[in-house]
Amino acid sequence: MFVDLLFWVIAATAVVTSWRVFRADSMVRAAYWLMASFVAVAAILVLIGAEFLGLVLVLMMAGEMTIMAIFMVMFMMNPAGLNPMNMVHQHRTSIVAGVVAFLGLSVVGIFGVFPTHPVPLETAAGTRTAQLGMELLGNSMLVFETAGVTLLATMIGAIAIANNRGRYGSADEGSSEPAGGDS
Amino acid sequence: MTSYIVAHIFEVIALMAAGVYATAVLDIILGRALTGCAPRIGESLARPVQGTALLLLQHGTTTEHPDAAGWAFAPALLGASSITALSLVPFASSGATWEVASGIVYFGAAMALVMVAVYLEGWSANSVFSLIGGYRFVAQALSYEMPLALVLIAAALPSESLAIGDIVRSQTHVWNVARQPLGLPLYLIASVGLAFWGPLGLPEAKDLAGGTSAELSGIALLLWRGAHLSVVVVTAAMGAAVFLGGWLGPWLPGTVWVVLKTFALIVIILASGHTLARVRLQWFVRVAWTILIPAALIDVFASGVLVLWAKTH
Repeated sequence: MFVDLLFWVIAATAVVTSWRVFRADSMVRAAYWLMASFVAVAAILVLIGAEFLGLVLVLMMAGEMTIMAIFMVMFMMNPAGLNPMNMVHQHRTSIVAGVVAFLGLSVVGIFGVFPTHPVPLETAAGTRTAQLGMELLGNSMLVFETAGVTLLATMIGAIAIANNRGRYGSADEGSSEPAGGDS
Repeated sequence: MTSYIVAHIFEVIALMAAGVYATAVLDIILGRALTGCAPRIGESLARPVQGTALLLLQHGTTTEHPDAAGWAFAPALLGASSITALSLVPFASSGATWEVASGIVYFGAAMALVMVAVYLEGWSANSVFSLIGGYRFVAQALSYEMPLALVLIAAALPSESLAIGDIVRSQTHVWNVARQPLGLPLYLIASVGLAFWGPLGLPEAKDLAGGTSAELSGIALLLWRGAHLSVVVVTAAMGAAVFLGGWLGPWLPGTVWVVLKTFALIVIILASGHTLARVRLQWFVRVAWTILIPAALIDVFASGVLVLWAKTH
């Protein structure tokens, strides 16, 4: 009963905070509403017994959302992200992407086969966390390493673009201090 | 069930409040003692109480168009993260207020939110020095986080468990501070960074006129200072459990050992604020990525080899 109530409260929090992401008028606000939504999803993961996954989600998202906010501020040239700005662009593409993603998830939700009984905390193969570790460094290793290298390449690209020696040449061009003189 | 949870929440909050008060007093006494002045225990005990009373009565100021919600939320997030992390620390062999199988990951997750809280605090004020303070902390956090995570992973290796109770039990014969000599020093450096204290108090440094807390006054400043101290308390408590064997020790009851070890680490962290000069952020970032992270990786590999060697011999 208590857990059911908790689930619905957290689920509602996840939906409301993710809606706020698109209503926010600043990159920092949008990033942290998104983080709030992820924290709520993490709480649901903890509730269904995927404790490790839920905790790792919070651990990663806290840093990632902050970094994302800072990179967006750097790309948008909006001083420090404090000025209100429109955060919603490319309406038609986003509506199509949103509807397709929703339909895809709905198909999984309606036709997917979900276990009706909780998975035991510990089986002959070890705890759930141990099983997850075996999977990540065993059969699924190639998938995760590929994703990891892709993310690394993306990050290096993002840094290259945001760097002050980025796309448009040196950021301080024309604004550098005069060369050292006699005075 | 519900009343049990509520009772434990209040227990942890009371523990943290006591820890924060004791840390504030210790900081005053240490500041006097390290400069050769008389410690003046009575006065030192009274000063945090007087300071609290003053800030409670002081009127609050504000800035032009702050993000009011974020500004109010940031101290709460900082305090809540460290209180949650404190609930994971086992105070006796019977276990923590809250036994979590992935306790060390939970601690990492709670401490990752410190970065969000400090950045949000600095950003929300809509003020230059606060904002720079917030940005400084992100650069600092990205530098101490990897060494912090790696030494905690190394400390968990011998126990073959992520539960903090198991990590303490694995130190029955030899504490991690001796088994992994790189662990505690790296953890302490990272803790000083995490608690933005002393030499790494860069987000609130004097050159920023107070930085993240420059625009705070009254109750908001009181909450922020309390939350700031709570990070010192929780990093010391977790360090005592993970590296100094927690409740393990002769003669005295386990809880007394936990408190003694925690305060030993608190004294080290506080003393850094009274003895070491504030470093430059660029210097710290370079040192973290070129020395601390490789050292932490060596710690993980050496600890892993030691565990495997112990298993085969």
